[in-house]
Amino acid sequence: MALRATVLRHFGMTVRGPPLALQPWRSMSSHAEDHLSKEEVIERVLAVVKDFPKVDPSRVTPDVHFQKDLGLDSLDNVEIVMALEEEFKLEIPDKEADKIDSCQLAIEYISNHPMAG
Amino acid sequence: MANAALRNVKVAPNSASLEEARHRVFDFFRTACRSLPSVMEIYNLYDVTSISHLRSTIASEIRKNTHVTNPKVIDMLLFKGMEELKNVVDHSKQRHHIIGQYVVRQQGEGQVDSGKDQGISPFLKNFYKGNYF
Repeated sequence: MALRATVLRHFGMTVRGPPLALQPWRSMSSHAEDHLSKEEVIERVLAVVKDFPKVDPSRVTPDVHFQKDLGLDSLDNVEIVMALEEEFKLEIPDKEADKIDSCQLAIEYISNHPMAG
Repeated sequence: MANAALRNVKVAPNSASLEEARHRVFDFFRTACRSLPSVMEIYNLYDVTSISHLRSTIASEIRKNTHVTNPKVIDMLLFKGMEELKNVVDHSKQRHHIIGQYVVRQQGEGQVDSGKDQGISPFLKNFYKGNYF
């Protein structure tokens, strides 16, 4: 079981190109047991946002809006999303990435993502 | 992934509007960010910099051109960026190019007056600055 999980995880990370083709197959994997908890996702998302050089760490809360509340511009927004991709080892499609503009949306997206690690 | 996107660098059709050009900038930024892990690997940069630092460097390079509003000029700059990225990813550069251009220069900006440069003339100082790499 552990071996299978490892192999699947390895596979999911290397085959990043067309994730759609893998979807039905992936739902049979045993990722549920090592899936991230919501609290962990919140904690790690906040840590990434606080690490961002232009952000004042004391103003970061789980429902902060990147551009309205933290005074960032659209490029900073993309940069944060890329930092989140790196942190959770994901590749967020461009259309989804454009929609993520607040901590809340980021947490929601990542905690619903089956491959977040 | 990123490498596949970079395999064929070609001139895309012109952006129809500023908005489209803006989107292309973000797409380019994402492509560049996604190729950073392989760049770190190729040039063995783990001891001198980090992915997040390089990501901020790319963003600041892009931010240098925020005043440009002509879509054609943005397209041209994007092409140059793409070309540079392809050269970096293809290992057409050497380690010291990357370190000089994207690691040291960013850290060194603003603190040129330190250390042994103290006694030299402004001319020589500018000469060194302009010929950094």
